[in-house]
Amino acid sequence: MSEVYVIGAGMTRFGPQPEAGVHDLAFDAAWAALEEAGVEPGKIDIAFAGHAYQGPCFGQKVLMRGGLTGMPILNVENACASGASAVLGIVQAIRSGAAEIGIAIGAEKLSTPAGGFLPTVADDLDSSMGRVMPAAFAMQARLHMDRYGTTREQMAMVAVKNRRNALRNPRCHMQKEVTIEEVLAAPMIAEPLTRLSCCPVSDGAAAVVVASARVARKYNPRPVRIAASVLVSGLRTPHGIVDDKSEMSIRASRKAYEAAGLGPDDVDVCEMHDPFTIAEIIHYEDLGFCAPGEGGRFVEDGRSAIGGAVAVSPSGGLLAKGHPLGATGVAQIAELYWQLRGVAGGYQVPGARVGLAHTVGGGVSKLESGACGVHILVA
Amino acid sequence: MAESVASDAATQQRPIRPGLFVEAGETRARPRLLGSRCRKTGQLFWPAERMNPVTHESGTMEPAEIEGGGHIVSYTVVQRGLPGYPSPYAIAAIQLDAGPSLIAQLEDWQGAALRTGMAVRLVIGTIRTERDGTRVTGPKFQPVVDT
Repeated sequence: MSEVYVIGAGMTRFGPQPEAGVHDLAFDAAWAALEEAGVEPGKIDIAFAGHAYQGPCFGQKVLMRGGLTGMPILNVENACASGASAVLGIVQAIRSGAAEIGIAIGAEKLSTPAGGFLPTVADDLDSSMGRVMPAAFAMQARLHMDRYGTTREQMAMVAVKNRRNALRNPRCHMQKEVTIEEVLAAPMIAEPLTRLSCCPVSDGAAAVVVASARVARKYNPRPVRIAASVLVSGLRTPHGIVDDKSEMSIRASRKAYEAAGLGPDDVDVCEMHDPFTIAEIIHYEDLGFCAPGEGGRFVEDGRSAIGGAVAVSPSGGLLAKGHPLGATGVAQIAELYWQLRGVAGGYQVPGARVGLAHTVGGGVSKLESGACGVHILVA
Repeated sequence: MAESVASDAATQQRPIRPGLFVEAGETRARPRLLGSRCRKTGQLFWPAERMNPVTHESGTMEPAEIEGGGHIVSYTVVQRGLPGYPSPYAIAAIQLDAGPSLIAQLEDWQGAALRTGMAVRLVIGTIRTERDGTRVTGPKFQPVVDT
């Protein structure tokens, strides 16, 4: 079984780009990743494309722009975890020996040239009953507050931190610092979550080129090893997504730590699934960065800031960089690749050697969620 | 013609999905949920399942009416929902005394001092309203204030 390495990454700016076609956005990211890796298009053995709402044969429509045709191209949909699923596909193809080099693409475009955003399809019973995503996370917040005494101020600190990180990342959707008071005073969406507690709706694309140990160093003298690539699906639970922990995140991260031979204390930088402030607090606990119930204190004490015990979402995360559904999971791998090579620029985590990417996707009645991906990268 | 269709629609209603609930009537003092029961384990499911997803056994499911008493596990008030939904509305994760759980909107919640653990009971009400005025109905829960 071959070791697997990231040898190149590309990403567009995140945020509304109503005039840009989604295939062009995705191709820009893919081509940037290929150029950085120095890989000729003919060397790509396989491609996976993750997206949620961009239509059939998406990857083919993207890659044909650069003449990348003929190889197997698999289009994968797992809601917000589509990108993580695409990365897993490439990793497994290379590990199995079926491919030497592959590319994972993730992209989403929800804004329209006419303004506003495309409606997303709800065929799920809970969703049609009115359980919009902010409501699901608000109910998580209520449980965490009642059980552990987590405060609105602690939740707001997550938004403050990620907005501050975003100021140093030119690809971010949100480029304005906010205060705790501003987060708390923003228009209420679903109590206790205000608009500044929720991620924005963004367009964007990302790509990573992944290679086997046999060829990685031919292209890149400092490839970044993918030490664990785990995807799990959700269990049937009594209240689905409404819980004060994420069982899938606990299960996926434990599997990933075991595969990598590492533990939560080894992680220097984490790109986390933080679509709402409360999610980041709960996931500190799920991923083992602190004990259950300690998540609020963890952010309050600055332990998740750049320079803290583990820098969480130094890129700005979903809350501030933006969340173009299918792009997010691939973008997290790209961010970690740059962090572990020490080239992340203004939001570089000093001395980062181990990175963890975590993403959760899909509201499904009776399940916690559709899919949860955890990847661990090592410099 | 188009006008009369629109005015008909304003008084029309349809269930959010067929087969999810029965209204109160002559034989039932209260509305109930329609689900399924496993003949072997006795476990109730809502909505009805085709087979038992816990034991993986098929051929054991039978239709069942489920009593609508329960309590709030968690809740929120949505101030900005999707088009067609009331604004604001309260929504909660409900644990039914009979076993199943579900996520549903609350009715008559304003002024009820919502809290986790609060007793609720099933009512059938409007979940959302379509653009032509059709009311989409389904299970909702009302705080039980007299206990």
